[in-house]
Amino acid sequence: MPIPLIGLLLVTPALIIVLLLFIVPLFSSVTGAFDVDGSFGLGNFQKAFELYSSDMIFTVVIVLLSTFLIGLFSIAIGGYLTLGSNPRAVAILRWLYRWPLFVPFIVVGQILRTFLAKNGLMNSMLVEGGILTAAQTVSFLDWRGIVIAFVWKQTPFVTLLLSGAMASLDRSMIESARNLGASRTRILIEIILPQVLPTLLVGLILSFVTMMSVLSVPLMINAQSPTMITASMAFRINAYGDYGVANALGFISLLITSAAAWIYLRQTMKERA
Amino acid sequence: MRKVFYSIMALGLSTSPLAAAELTVITAGDQNMVDYINQYLGPLFEKQNPGTTVRAVGTGPGDAGSQKILERFDAQAQANVETWDADVAVAHEKFVGPMVEKGYLEKYRDKIESGALVTRANAKMALGSNVDGYVMPMFNSQTALAYNPALVASPPKSYEELVAWAKENPKQFGYNGIKGGASGVSFVMGWIYAFGGDADKLMNGPFDAAETSKWNDAFASLKDFSTNATMTPGNAGTLDMLSRGEISIGPVWVDMFYSWQANGQLPPDMKLVLPAPGMPGQPMHYVIPAKSPNKELAEKFVNLATSPEVQAEGIVKRFNWYPGIDAKHVEAALDKETWAKLFTDISPEDLAKYGKAFPIAPYNTAILEAYERQVGN
Amino acid sequence: MMAGSIDLKWIPRGLGLGLLAFAIFGPLTNLLLWAFTERWYFPHALPLEYGFSYWANVFSPRGNATTSLIMSVLIASLTVVISIGLAIPAGYALARLRLPFRGAVLLILLIPQAFPNLPVYVNIARIFYQFGLNGTVLGVVLVHVTHGLVYAVWIATAAFSAIDRELEEAARSMGASALRTFADVTLPIAAPGLLASAVFVFLESLDEFTGTYFVGAPDISTLPLLLYTAGSGGNYQIASITAFILLIPSIAFMFVIEKFMRADVLSKVGR
Repeated sequence: MPIPLIGLLLVTPALIIVLLLFIVPLFSSVTGAFDVDGSFGLGNFQKAFELYSSDMIFTVVIVLLSTFLIGLFSIAIGGYLTLGSNPRAVAILRWLYRWPLFVPFIVVGQILRTFLAKNGLMNSMLVEGGILTAAQTVSFLDWRGIVIAFVWKQTPFVTLLLSGAMASLDRSMIESARNLGASRTRILIEIILPQVLPTLLVGLILSFVTMMSVLSVPLMINAQSPTMITASMAFRINAYGDYGVANALGFISLLITSAAAWIYLRQTMKERA
Repeated sequence: MRKVFYSIMALGLSTSPLAAAELTVITAGDQNMVDYINQYLGPLFEKQNPGTTVRAVGTGPGDAGSQKILERFDAQAQANVETWDADVAVAHEKFVGPMVEKGYLEKYRDKIESGALVTRANAKMALGSNVDGYVMPMFNSQTALAYNPALVASPPKSYEELVAWAKENPKQFGYNGIKGGASGVSFVMGWIYAFGGDADKLMNGPFDAAETSKWNDAFASLKDFSTNATMTPGNAGTLDMLSRGEISIGPVWVDMFYSWQANGQLPPDMKLVLPAPGMPGQPMHYVIPAKSPNKELAEKFVNLATSPEVQAEGIVKRFNWYPGIDAKHVEAALDKETWAKLFTDISPEDLAKYGKAFPIAPYNTAILEAYERQVGN
Repeated sequence: MMAGSIDLKWIPRGLGLGLLAFAIFGPLTNLLLWAFTERWYFPHALPLEYGFSYWANVFSPRGNATTSLIMSVLIASLTVVISIGLAIPAGYALARLRLPFRGAVLLILLIPQAFPNLPVYVNIARIFYQFGLNGTVLGVVLVHVTHGLVYAVWIATAAFSAIDRELEEAARSMGASALRTFADVTLPIAAPGLLASAVFVFLESLDEFTGTYFVGAPDISTLPLLLYTAGSGGNYQIASITAFILLIPSIAFMFVIEKFMRADVLSKVGR
């Protein structure tokens, strides 16, 4: 059998599941987005842009910023886990960083709402501790709250992947660089990072996609205007029963994530070639 | 792998809905709706009907919860399912109209005893749709302004007074816009009733597109007002900020307010006020799908749930909700003290005068879209 | 480092770890406090009264918490088995074989996460009703697999493509069959990545409630389903307690996986 055929055969089961159980149901949603009073039209998209273009920009900016911060933190944590000289500190960090992974998004929304508020637990802890005065406290329940929630929840996800990839690297190169007197930051950036970059990118892309489709966090932390696309979709459906515009918004969201995924895929294709 | 597959299939078969006399109640609304059925109504019904079991499924609070019930019915109707998997559903007023129009529901009110105990207009019309006979109100809910008496000595009695108060106390009024739940929506509707036009026309119809142009000034002033207000994340978010003292007044659902107080999440001295010319409220309705597998049992269940005794003991006394059936039948079944407790903050007269309905569906949609265009953006 | 003297490096180290601990455990403390709170409101920085009455509520016979927990774990475990079973061949093919439409295949697998699901569930539910899958464990598992596959396949692909081809070629040149090489060389090296993806699929399944409602309810009841009403309605006590119970299987699963990962990494070091 030719190799491409074997390859297709191997991916077919997974593809069938997704095609039958998601793409087929999705199809009527997507066609619904182009359906204006029974005929093909772009009215839903027009309305989506008219009412929610600020939400789209807001969403992209929030998710990009969160992705960037997640990347930064996970490199830092993963790097320390791999290069840290003190085994006890490494052990503490390893035990510490993972916890948010186990908290469902809806609970992340809840606990951060009561944590980040003006008189929330964080500020009252800081005030009790004498670090802030009551007059200096501010609420983070706006776009910052969403970013904090995303970074809090997703950093462990990327770090777990990244530190796994870093751990399975060949240590000899790192050791010899260290013997030559290279600083740890340099080793991390110049030797380790290039080798684990594919894993980092996969983790970030998956985080990007996850954050784009989370509803509970924007709803519970900031449901004002502008808000994230998912919150506006939910509003379109629940308040108006308007699936047309909701599906148009969903389609736009799909295009944004596909664009991000496509950039990533092209990058890896180039490397493969 | 094959073993796993077989065991999954076996599980799939063994959990298919076959068990006899199992009454499934799907309910929108907060945790207390599920609690109400699990802790009070379900056990009571099971005691009266030995051999039956009641199970409650919560679909979440607010319009989203009711929307999920409607979508569940949509899916079963489109798939031509013979018997549906719900016997009784509890949904918000706004969603029973579409359910009736799509022919999903059983017309049962005349078949049950307690049907005669409901005469209120909102049990016949739901936002402009005729639902007469298809619904029994579980309870009536109302929005009002909750405030902290320690921070607000004399609460504003009208929307005008609220505007003046909010000007003097910037950021002390908080509401959740329109995307975060119906308490904010209700505040906006009240604003339009107060400053935008003819409340009676909005509530009773008929729909007239010319009416929508009269709201521009009201929305301009609301936009102004909102910049001076705190925006809260959702219905629960408003209560949350009230409980932490970050805002001192804001619109809430009365039933949610009481359940938060009962859960120790709100200071016990918080109070409610219903400002003139009024804010909307709405009933939660019991409905029975026409393809319910246990229709008779379902009717029996709703009959029990809307009997004066249960409305008195369960709805009013235990859960502090305004009764669904006509008040006089419930008042007769209760001692004076318990009945009076229901009206501690909002007197029956105020409730009658200022407890409004939501605008009919087309106005509802028009107001929300106008808000999105003129205030939200 | 001199023995006996205080290591000065612990000052920045402790500061960093302390800050991280605050960022991570601050919000989690909130969860812990709410789980045992009876009364908590302004202006009190901490709960006024602690107690177990909401635990009694959650674990009341009609609360269904225990059976829902078992059901959640069962569904999550089956989801992991199926997803990983599908992801290993798919990931290998995507990473190693010359595949037509490789990018398109990866994109298609991404779509269940990329299109916000809210308007799609009605259609999914309709199809599941037609096939009689509604109210079955299999139905719920399939929905969760659909969402988990992207994690499983994408991460598996990354794990397989990170493997040095020379190792495989060496095994092949020593006369091992393709299957044998895969089982003895490729799979063990990719194992940490695959196991990590298993953790994510497991957690994703334990988080999911909308699909479970549309496809599983009323016959299948999982903990996230119970959590959703309490969480979005602002009943912090019930939501926190349910979240706590959900921590148990998540951490247990992580622990088991961790054992596997350690053993594997260690064995590689020995060779």
